[in-house]
Order: sequence, then C-alpha cells, then structure tokens
Amino acid sequence: MTTFSEKRHIKLALVVDDSLMQCKVLSVLLKEEGYRVFTANDGARGVAMYIKYKPDLVLMDINMPIMNGYEAARKIKGLSQDNSLCPLIFITSMDTDQAFIESIDAGGDGILVRPFSPNVFKAKIKSIQRISDLYGQVKTLQQAQQKDAELAEQLMSGVIEARNFSRDRIGIIRQAAELFSGDIQLTALAPNGDVNVMLGDFTGHGLRSSIGAIPLAETFRAMTKKGFSLFEIITQVNHQLYDLLPADLFLAAGFVSISTHNASMYAFNAGLPDGYLFSELGEIKYQLSSTHPPLGVLPNLLPDSQLTVVSIAETDRMILISDGIVEARNEAGEMFEFERFEHAAKQGVLEGNVSKHVQQTVNNFCQDMPQEDDISLIDIPCGGWQQLLVGSHDFEHFPDKLLSDTSIKTLPAWHWQLSLRGKRLGIINPIPMAMSQINEIEGHADHWQSLYTILTELFINSLDHGVLGLSSELKASADGFSEYFKEREHRLRNLEEGFVELQLSHHPVPNGGRVIIKVKDSGKGFDITKYYKDRDVDSAAKLKFSGRGIDLVEQLCDSLDYQENGTVVEASYVWTS
Amino acid sequence: MSVKKQVSENSKNIEISIDGRFDFSLHQHFRDAYANCKEHGQIFTLNLAATSYMDSSALGMILLLKDHAESHSGKVVIARPSESVNKILEIAQFHRLLTIEQ
Repeated sequence: MTTFSEKRHIKLALVVDDSLMQCKVLSVLLKEEGYRVFTANDGARGVAMYIKYKPDLVLMDINMPIMNGYEAARKIKGLSQDNSLCPLIFITSMDTDQAFIESIDAGGDGILVRPFSPNVFKAKIKSIQRISDLYGQVKTLQQAQQKDAELAEQLMSGVIEARNFSRDRIGIIRQAAELFSGDIQLTALAPNGDVNVMLGDFTGHGLRSSIGAIPLAETFRAMTKKGFSLFEIITQVNHQLYDLLPADLFLAAGFVSISTHNASMYAFNAGLPDGYLFSELGEIKYQLSSTHPPLGVLPNLLPDSQLTVVSIAETDRMILISDGIVEARNEAGEMFEFERFEHAAKQGVLEGNVSKHVQQTVNNFCQDMPQEDDISLIDIPCGGWQQLLVGSHDFEHFPDKLLSDTSIKTLPAWHWQLSLRGKRLGIINPIPMAMSQINEIEGHADHWQSLYTILTELFINSLDHGVLGLSSELKASADGFSEYFKEREHRLRNLEEGFVELQLSHHPVPNGGRVIIKVKDSGKGFDITKYYKDRDVDSAAKLKFSGRGIDLVEQLCDSLDYQENGTVVEASYVWTS
Repeated sequence: MSVKKQVSENSKNIEISIDGRFDFSLHQHFRDAYANCKEHGQIFTLNLAATSYMDSSALGMILLLKDHAESHSGKVVIARPSESVNKILEIAQFHRLLTIEQ
C-alpha cells in the first residue's frame, strides 16, 4: 500500500515565523535536508498554508501577530489527518519551563531553543521525522489489520448467520463487544421436522475466541441435516472442540431441539446461565440449568450426561442467553442480573418481541458504559414448525398403466440391510446410515425427508416397544414423555441382548420408484387385531398422547403392514419425480 | 487487582490468591505464579476469597493451572470462592472437574 506522502518523494516543510530573516535561515537549513519549504508570517496564515499544502513538518514561532504559535498549533493538530502525525516543532528564544510545557500542551512534538547550531537543528529534524515515520507505519498496520478483521467477520457471519434456519421466526440478539463475537447462534432443521438450536459462548471475545465457530457450525448443521440426534451432535461437538482448541479455550453452550411431533423439547446446558421456557402469558414454566462443564474441556462428555425432556405447548417460547446479558454493568458497577432479565423477557413475551425488548432494556441499563462482553440471546417459538412432508403416491393409481404389483415381485435395483444387536443398539443410530445410502445411490431429494420420518418412527417403535419392552402408556400424561424418556435411557444403558434389523429395497419404475422398508425386532410382538381396535377407540375419544408417530407414518406410506405377531413391520413408500 | 503467591516450607503447598477482578488482564501474572513450580505432587490452592468477579477467560486460566498441576502429578483445589464467584463456578460445573472447598 502506498500513501500519498510516499508517492510524492519530496518532503514539504512549513515555517511559520513573523521574522523574514528567521524564515530565510530555517528554509536554507531545511532545503539542505531535502525539504521543499513554504513560509508564513503569522499564525492564521500558517494554518491556511497548512490546509493548502498538508506538509510533512511544521516549524512554529511562538510570539506572532494576528494568531500566536500556540493557537495555530492547536488548530493544525486539530486538522491533521489520522494517518500522519505531522510533527510540529516550536522554535523559540524563550528558554523557560513555562514555554516548554505550554508548547507540548498546545500539541507540539518538540521545542528547539535558540541559539542552536545548524547540526543540532538537523539532528532534531531527523529524530522527529523518525518518530513521524514510525507513527505512519503503526497507523498503516492498524488499518490493514482492521480491514482483514472486517473481511474475516463478513466471511464468518456469511457462514454462520446467513445459513441459519428460519431467521424470520427465531429471535436473536447478537451484540459483540469487539468486531468479532465469541458468541454464536445456530439453528437448523432436522429431516423429521425437529428444530435444533444452539447458543454458544467461546471463552473471551474477539478473533481468538471465534476460531472454533466455523467447524462448530459445520458439524452442527451437517449432523442435524443427516438426522443425528441432539445428544449425538453434542457428543461430537465436544469431542471436536477438545481436539481443536487449546486448554483455556472452550465453549459454554445451550442446545435445544423442539419436537412439535412429541410436544416436547430436548435440551442440554453446558456452562450457560439458566435458559427459560416461558408460557404465552410470560410465566416461567421451566428453567434449564447448567449440568455439564463447557464443551471442549473434557475429551468425552461426563458419563451421566443426558438430555432433559420438557413438555411444551405450541405457544411457549424457549430462551437461551449468554452471561454477557446478566453480567452487563451500569455506571454504578451493578450487574443486570437474572431478576432484571426475567422481567424484561416476560415483557418481551407479552409484547411479542423478546429480543428487541431485552436488548433495549439492557442498553438502557448500561447507558454509555463500554460493553465488556458479547451479549447474545436466542428466542425460539415452540410451535408452528409443522413441516410439509411429501406423502407417498398411491401405487394403485400410478400414472404409468404398465405398472402393476408385479414390479415388486421382481428383484429390487438395490437392497440394503443392517442388523444391530445388544449394546450396539444403544450406541449406534442406523437412520443417518440408511439415509446416506439412499442419498448416495438415488441422489438428494425432498421426498427422502418423508422416508426419514417413516424409518425413524418404525425403528424407534421396534427398539422401544419391541426390544426394550417399554409401554407407550407411560406417555399417557403431559409429563409422561419425560418419564418415558428417562426409563428409555436407563434400559438402553443396560441393554445386553436383542436386535433390530432394518431392510431397505428400492424398485425403480419410470419417473419414480417404490421403497420397501422392513423392520424386524427381537421383541415379543403384540396382538395386532387388538391394537387396531384400541386405536380406533382412542382416536374416537381423542386420547392421543401416543401413537402419533404411527398415524403420521400411515399417512405418509402407501401401505403399512404388521406381520409375524407384530415383530415385523413392512411399509411401502412410492415417489415420483 | 493482584495475584499473590505463598509457598509452604516443604514447598508442597502453593497458595495463589486473587484480589479483585479475575480476568484476562491477569493472564501473565497468574501464569508466572505457577509456571516454575515443577516439583512432583504439589498441591495448588487457588484462594478466591477476595475475588470479586471472574470471567470465562479466568475459568480457562484455571484449566491451564489444572493441566500444569496434573502433568506433575499434583492437583488444584479452589478455596473459599465468594458467592458471586461460586455462582460462576457452578454454571461452569467446575466442581465436576476439580475440588472446591467452601
């Protein structure tokens, strides 16, 4: 980068002195040093010349008519650009402490008392020029660094914020203490329609604390999209950050997965202040406290770690915050604290805009105090996420008349199967593997989301009710789901035997295809006739805390059959392009 | 705001106390307080009785101290954190990583 002063090579000096003789003497000396010299005979004229020529050096007398040297120096220093120091030296015969002090106060960079020898003068000019050059270098470096940081910040927010899911419905406060925020908010949609959300706070703030943000965002998004459970995502994020970051850098984070389908929220708090679940009336329904050290501190999550399951209503809102909000300080040194936050959030819920209201309240509280830490919040509506799934086409009415059920009797174009047994069932999630097979062979398409839902529901049913022997009656109350989830975790941990077998076959037809999904489990099965009869009674009476999953699968599938006493389920899904 | 260090006569116990705010500005001083303590099995007591506030970079500095201590078969004990500092330790669930003596 070339600056203007470097370009013009010849340096300019301005001499301001009411004595023509002095002007002449100083001019000669400066010319010998390679300067081109302009002169002015009073302070006001000096300021005007300064504006016109933007010199590299100013020599200033103190006692002059119209405007004295101090005043002219103040004006010039007020005008000088950020990028150059423009050194100003007072030349005077007043050899007093007072003159020296006033010269520096007026903005002078040095003072030279007459009489002085030409060599002393030249040495003084050289030294002051050296300081001026250094100042220029520092300024240039600083600007280059600022530009780099701005560019990096743009890239960062491009990767992180721009790719978040549903930015119009999820409220976010993101107020960084520096250009870079150490806080990060991520939202992503899972293939079954669940919404995964994370608010993270890296140690400290600024560039250093945001290096982990990009890999974190990638992992969170890719794993959500592939259908990994929230707990698997958290486990992986922890592992990745532990590998990647130095010991003193870590991530305090809160994770929430909203499942409209189960009317539940799955959540985990590792080192963030309490998160809040608010009803639409602004009542606090649940507080999500930290139960784990921040991520990236330990190589593996603590063994007793598990998600919290909370029942939610469609009108609830879940709010996560970073400590920057509760620790924001006002002029008196008081912190914003939880009580003020809860009040502000409640008002925000009632007014229908949590992020705006909380941000205003925090900023009013802090007034002009400099912000010490990143302030961030994420506000997630618990309802309204129903996803449009592409249902199966009715095979009987498939457009191509040439087709009949015989196509099913032919060999499939491909067949994939996985059988998981014993402990592996508690550790391995086969759904992302199955989906990745389909995507790799048939390419990515929207209707695979429905297939994901079908696969997940059927696998979970076989695992929960077949292998683990859990009764869905446990889910029969509003809080039952979290009880059910706890019991499920417990049995999974202690699982020693049993199996679930997944089979996928694809039978292509012109412009589409039919996927047959078969799931077999080692459970005792159930009375299929009784099951259908009970379900009809329940649905008539609208007693529906369980079985929603199977209802959905039935809607999505072309056909769904239980076989072999309920230990095998076969579903068919037909798609057209 | 300062870091004070006391070493017991047998040099097995090192007490580091933090006055006032414990944040990134103490980074160098805090490190200097333990970097040369390389004897086997030393116990580092971090006295936070006079610490008014602690930020996340302070938590990071404690983890570095923990790494240092453990690499010399020693350990770190956090002693007498004030109420507000304890709240921060609790949110970070530090009692699951090292001993905190009230």
